[in-house]
Amino acid sequence: MEAAKKLLELNKVSVGFPHRGGMRPVTENVSFSLHDGEILGIVGESGSGKSVSMLAVMGLLSGNGKVMDGSIRFYNKEQPEEYTELNKLLKGELRQICGNEISMIFQEPMTSLNPVMTIGAQVEEMLTLHSTLPREKHKEEVLSMLSEVGLSEVEKLYDKYPHQLSGGMRQRVMIAMAMILRPKLLIADEPTTALDVTIQAKILKLLKKLQTEYGTSIVLISHDLGVIRSICSRTVVMCEGRIVEQGKVEDIFERPQEEYTKRLLAAALGKGEIIEKREIDYQLAPVVKAENYSVFYAEKPKNAQQLGSTLAERLKSIFAGKIRREVVRGVSFEVYPGEIVGIVGESGCGKSTLIKGLAGLNPLTEGMLTMEAKHPQMVFQDPYGSLNPSKTIGWLLTEPLRLHSIGTKEEQRQQVLEMLKKVGLSEEYYDRYPSTLSGGQRQRIAIAMAIMLKQKLILLDEPVSALDVTVQEQILILLLSLRKEYDLSYIFISHDMNVIHRICDRVMVMYHGEIVESGKTEEIFERPQHEYTRKLLKARL
Amino acid sequence: MRYYIKKIVSLIMVLFLVILLTFLAFQVIPGDGALAKLGVDATEEAIEALRESLGLNKSIPARFVDYFKGILHGDFGISYQYDQPVAELVAARMPATLGLALISILLIVVVSLPLGLLCSKKENGTVDNIITLLTQTLMAVPAFFLGILITLIFGLTLRWFMPGRYVAPAEDFGAFLRYMIFPATAIAVPKIAMLVKFLKTSVIRELKLDYVRTARSKGNTDRAVLWKHVLKNALIPVITFMGMVIADVLAGSIVIEQVFNLPGLGRLLVVAIGNRDYPVVQAIVIYIASVVLIINFIVDLLYQKVDPRIRLQ
Repeated sequence: MEAAKKLLELNKVSVGFPHRGGMRPVTENVSFSLHDGEILGIVGESGSGKSVSMLAVMGLLSGNGKVMDGSIRFYNKEQPEEYTELNKLLKGELRQICGNEISMIFQEPMTSLNPVMTIGAQVEEMLTLHSTLPREKHKEEVLSMLSEVGLSEVEKLYDKYPHQLSGGMRQRVMIAMAMILRPKLLIADEPTTALDVTIQAKILKLLKKLQTEYGTSIVLISHDLGVIRSICSRTVVMCEGRIVEQGKVEDIFERPQEEYTKRLLAAALGKGEIIEKREIDYQLAPVVKAENYSVFYAEKPKNAQQLGSTLAERLKSIFAGKIRREVVRGVSFEVYPGEIVGIVGESGCGKSTLIKGLAGLNPLTEGMLTMEAKHPQMVFQDPYGSLNPSKTIGWLLTEPLRLHSIGTKEEQRQQVLEMLKKVGLSEEYYDRYPSTLSGGQRQRIAIAMAIMLKQKLILLDEPVSALDVTVQEQILILLLSLRKEYDLSYIFISHDMNVIHRICDRVMVMYHGEIVESGKTEEIFERPQHEYTRKLLKARL
Repeated sequence: MRYYIKKIVSLIMVLFLVILLTFLAFQVIPGDGALAKLGVDATEEAIEALRESLGLNKSIPARFVDYFKGILHGDFGISYQYDQPVAELVAARMPATLGLALISILLIVVVSLPLGLLCSKKENGTVDNIITLLTQTLMAVPAFFLGILITLIFGLTLRWFMPGRYVAPAEDFGAFLRYMIFPATAIAVPKIAMLVKFLKTSVIRELKLDYVRTARSKGNTDRAVLWKHVLKNALIPVITFMGMVIADVLAGSIVIEQVFNLPGLGRLLVVAIGNRDYPVVQAIVIYIASVVLIINFIVDLLYQKVDPRIRLQ
């Protein structure tokens, strides 16, 4: 597409947010352009300014953020030779373009749709706002768009609410909403980050298809280099509010010029090189041994069948409330001393439920479970939500010791200070609050907290999924060094096959509550047996 | 459907419990109805005879059965003090209390919703600051004091109404309204202040959520974002709060009825307590408890209507 028309051009754009009376810039001199019909990737870690730049295009900056300098030029529909300066437009004029010619989809399909409006009404709103189509044709148009994005039973879907849909379906609804007016430009802000890998690939395929069919240009914002490589033709690499490098995807990926890009690539696309190999002695007694182990959820019966047939039975079940649903179905496995066992599987397959059962957080279990560790500790995915924001780091870390009455106050303090050092944080963090820490630092605290009790088994539920790639790398290395230091075993849940490959000794694949395959990591990766495992590995970009 | 059955059955059960507990509570209080009616100077025989005729000598369970049967027929017993059926006494006082409550509720809803939205439109703007200051102040003013002020200003100085001259709605509805608007305002103002603050907080919290950004990205105007997307979501927590306020107002404003000399349930209750007129007190307690329960029931149903996420559970 040489000499294709420029659709969007950012020229030395700086975006700032109010800070202590003045404006503090978060991006500086961001310049790039997007050609008609192209898919451009913007890649960078969190805080690099990639989303902010595109939100500025649509005038969606939150909290009084402003374009301080530079210009954002967008092709003008009426006069193809002219450009509209989006950042100079009045609010009302910009609204004519938003949704109509430029539309956007977001990272969190769970929260980006209005929870109290039906799917149909939300998609239709686009038509009401911008289209000249007569009202009675609206529904028909919405339904056809919904099927176009790969949704089925659209008639039923039309009257459903967002919470009744899965994450993948919601993102498809978002795409249908964004594409129904055939905009010239679609901005996709981390559209697949919150989704399972197998669904990720499908959503990307859909975006690609829409781009070819309608000639819509796409700006794809992602921290995931794999995603960028799979569908973008050109890419912009951003770091700390500046553009580090831009060019064709092949060039950037094959011959990165800048140090930062190289680092990013090494961390993300190292094809999951094994960080450190360790021989596990399988003759030793396992730290965990589960046999025919099941975990249940108590839930309310949903359909009439579960309620029973006679009126009396139904009345009874209305008040009796809950029935047990088997989420993990009779799994058997062992974890040996010093071993890291990975569990992979899509969301809802029961992997988190399984380790919650092991940790004693879910008492509804059945089957044999022998465990050396009395209180296996957990590390959770979201380092922002899982630390109490009103307590200091020191308080949080001494809590396990206090609960088990280990040592005097002074001894506890010493232990915590030592642990802080072990996880790579200095002593001054003792008196700080979680809100002053970055995601990676918080995850270090969460790991420290899990190790405080010196239990041999640590359960990690997607511990690095919420972190940037370079930070991921550091946390993985930390986990490995702590394993050596304290002789720990880990059960490591992840949806990211690369991460699994890098640190796990063995892998178990879960599917619909069962372990469908397990074995040494290399074996699974080289000779996957189960259909689902193959799909997972293929979805790895 | 299941949800409704469950809710209705539990509502009925709780109402029954309320009646039972109220009944039992009045059995514990020393001194019975016969004594209260005849006074301490009456002869032992006279009291005993009255006990017999009132059925006070029966066992407690038997008396409860009688009482409960009566309630099912709308019979709450005979007032010791007035020698009239309690139901009639209460019914006669209803118009003043209900009228006052309904006018107050109307005022609360009509005034607080727009004000709350107005505040949230521009946080820390001039309008918001003024309204916030006003709400902070008015929240702290007790309703009876406001009542006295209103009587003083609008009644005695401006002469917009005659303090103490209540007109029954059956007599002259217009005059009734013109009088009632003043006590209703006294009740409504502190509640409005609370609701405005609550609604504002709720709207501002919603405005920060992702779906609002989506709505903006579609090209909605700020007004459309607020009315079409945010309002319904923001009202979800407000409904509960509103329910509490409404139940509170409906249950009667004893003090305000005193200040404005309204022949309502509150006044009846105060007099009945003073005279140990237990059947009347009991009936009013049951009324208040039922109002709270029924309003809560309605709130639950409304919740369901507004928030589709609750329907499935």
